[in-house]
Amino acid sequence: MSNNVKSDLLLECRGIDKNYNGPQVLSKVDFSLRRGEIHALVGENGAGKSTLIKIVTGITNRNAGTIVFDGHDVPVEHNKNASEKLGIAVIYQELSLIHGMTVAQNIFLTKEPLLPGLPFIDIKKMNAMAQEMIEKYGFDLKATDIIDKLPIAQRQTVEILKALSNKASLMIMDEPTSSLTAKESERLFKIIRMLKAEGITVVYISHRMEEVYDLSDRVTVLRDGKLVSVLEGEEITPAEIIRLMIGRELTEDESHHKMVDKRDREVVLEVKNLSAEGKLNDVSFKLHKGEVLGFGGLVGSGRTELMRAIYGIDAFDAGEIMYLGKTYSPTVEKSIASGFGFVPEERRLQGIMGGISITGNIGIANLDSISSPAGFVSRDKELERTQTAISTLNIKPANPDHLVGNLSGGNQQKVVVGKWLIRDLKLLIVDEPTVGVDIGAKEEMYQTIDRLSREGVAVMVVSSDLPELTRLSDRIIVLRKGRIIKEFTEGVVTEEEVLRAASGIVEGGAK
Amino acid sequence: MNTKSALFKEHMVELRLFGVLLGLMVVLSLISDRFLTVDNLTNVLWSVCLIGIMTTGAIYAPITGGIDLSVASMAALAGILANVFMNTLGMNWIVAILITLVIGAGIGWLNGVVTTKFLVPAFIVTMAAKTYLFGVAMLVSNGDQITIMEPAPFLQIGIGKLLGIPIPIYIMFTLVILSHILLKKTVFGRRTIAVGANEVAAKLTGVNPDRTRIIVYTISSVTATIAGIVMASLTQQAYAMNATGYELDVITAIVVGGTSLMGGSGSVVGALIGAVMVGFINNGLNLLDMPSAFHPIATGIVILVALIMNQGVSVPAVLKKWFARPGAAEAAK
Repeated sequence: MSNNVKSDLLLECRGIDKNYNGPQVLSKVDFSLRRGEIHALVGENGAGKSTLIKIVTGITNRNAGTIVFDGHDVPVEHNKNASEKLGIAVIYQELSLIHGMTVAQNIFLTKEPLLPGLPFIDIKKMNAMAQEMIEKYGFDLKATDIIDKLPIAQRQTVEILKALSNKASLMIMDEPTSSLTAKESERLFKIIRMLKAEGITVVYISHRMEEVYDLSDRVTVLRDGKLVSVLEGEEITPAEIIRLMIGRELTEDESHHKMVDKRDREVVLEVKNLSAEGKLNDVSFKLHKGEVLGFGGLVGSGRTELMRAIYGIDAFDAGEIMYLGKTYSPTVEKSIASGFGFVPEERRLQGIMGGISITGNIGIANLDSISSPAGFVSRDKELERTQTAISTLNIKPANPDHLVGNLSGGNQQKVVVGKWLIRDLKLLIVDEPTVGVDIGAKEEMYQTIDRLSREGVAVMVVSSDLPELTRLSDRIIVLRKGRIIKEFTEGVVTEEEVLRAASGIVEGGAK
Repeated sequence: MNTKSALFKEHMVELRLFGVLLGLMVVLSLISDRFLTVDNLTNVLWSVCLIGIMTTGAIYAPITGGIDLSVASMAALAGILANVFMNTLGMNWIVAILITLVIGAGIGWLNGVVTTKFLVPAFIVTMAAKTYLFGVAMLVSNGDQITIMEPAPFLQIGIGKLLGIPIPIYIMFTLVILSHILLKKTVFGRRTIAVGANEVAAKLTGVNPDRTRIIVYTISSVTATIAGIVMASLTQQAYAMNATGYELDVITAIVVGGTSLMGGSGSVVGALIGAVMVGFINNGLNLLDMPSAFHPIATGIVILVALIMNQGVSVPAVLKKWFARPGAAEAAK
């Protein structure tokens, strides 16, 4: 295998196994890339795409399997520097660029051309070299532009230039269009085709089926950590990819996938023609008492933005929100006082206060009910509330003084939910409720949401986990590019249908 | 049993500090027979008072993840202003103190507003305040050491005694108790801790971080003003250089007392013990007739050691890793 004749495969992974001390994330995955192809890697959330990429780029190490890159065996103790040296580059959205520096400075960081015989950077030469590259590819950039002043799409092209200057032969792009406009995406596709023409292999990870369909020479589909299929040429159709990704037919006993029409109940929240520049476009819907309304859509489709606008975190430009029959202009404080609860998308960054106790985390959302008018907190009331939250949600360990940062992901999430449950809750917003949560805690979370809905709480659930979305929702609204593109109100909805709507294939295909 | 151990755990930091303090006292009493005398101990407590008073308010900024470097300049200016109001403008001493407190609160409020609304880091804002407040103090006092001879009741604040104990010590303990209650028992205290622990999470849970921070810097300036008034009365002097460098002692006391500069936790009682320790260290150096140049050296070392301890890293482990590195690299080859 490791002879010196160059095969037409740039990368060949065989039998890759990976477990993070427990659940098997990848098992016996084969993944190969030809030279100069555009190869899409697709799968549902949790299918193992990111882990596979992390193994190839050396961010994490595999447990078993072999990797051959460009004729070289890649050892198990692979790391990021080694993968860069081999010519593997990951195009991040903007993370790896240094703000405040110019395009040229970023491209040539740590490999700046020096003045002959001197330890000083030859700025003129560096700018000229960068400009030459920019012109070669016809990018809309100047070598002396400061990164901060560039829109996301152009920062991406700087990333690509940086990879090119590193002589990368493999570029990995993870959801590169999630924050681009249609026009910017088109331009990116042109660049990707140009890279292909240069003989560079591009791995393209996307949930957007039409992009995958347009661009890819081959498609690798992963599901539950296993290789499902590799499609080529004519075999690549959006409907087929979605079928392979979901991979199972609906069975009779999955009755909880059935929508429940609760639209005859009292309206709790009504959103009318809500718009926010670049995020939301004319969104209208009603939410009823005891209803669980699911929001499907791809990353960047505006679901989180919609929730944030309703809760009062971000402002909106046009439209109206009605709460319990009255016009409502939200602020976070008002929302909490009016019976809202909000479980944000990123638990560590937005949900928990890791350095303080369970009591502290739960108390802070309930200061109004545990303190006297003079502003003194009743330690007894606070502890009592915390105990209630701990026992209703089965938080472990059941010790109110335990630091939340030391809890498992599932228990941290229970704390974030728990602080709202002990209030007079009318409307709960949960954004990605079970990311990084173990299976047991996941099921408990679902039961909690079911119970709240029975108690009459209106719930809005945002989830990219399709089985979760169909499992929980009485009704599903699918957003795409800030608009409501589809609403599922009755009967049985399949994950496939939701994904097709989210991908923009609204009515097409057989089924 | 459970509540008892929880209580013990909650005050672990304070207890450990108290242990260190006792150890320090034992060492100092062995080194110098002048240490364990009533005179000397009163002396230490007295000098600790000013730092102690300042820490009771200054501690809130670190708890939110910020810092207040302007407290010493604020204190010096407060003494000078109070003297101007009483002895130049002839105001009643109580009125003079109240006006000075309002000015102090206004300056703290301004620090808070610039930090939160104009997004300038607290470090820079309060360093600028330290500089311009010192300038104003020099300007108002002409740079002179002004001796304060009257009014007599004002001077009693610093030099008076009640039941044989100096009044500043009462002031300090009152403020420590108030500050402890404010931090541990009130809504404001909870919000302050939440802002320092995770500002975004706090905001999504209904806390207004800007409002909280503005109050924090206002409190910090008010206690600095109180310390300045006590200092002017105690030293019978209004002088712009009177508190020079005190902000470092205040931060040392807070850090030694177990408050993390990263925010999210803090102990007023710990900071008081920290202030006493700083006082003892300086006192010890005096008793040993060490040149005054050793004071800042000792303070600097104490800050570093306290910070390293608060980071919770194991020093032996770090050293082991450090020294093992070249060997390990060779072995890998």
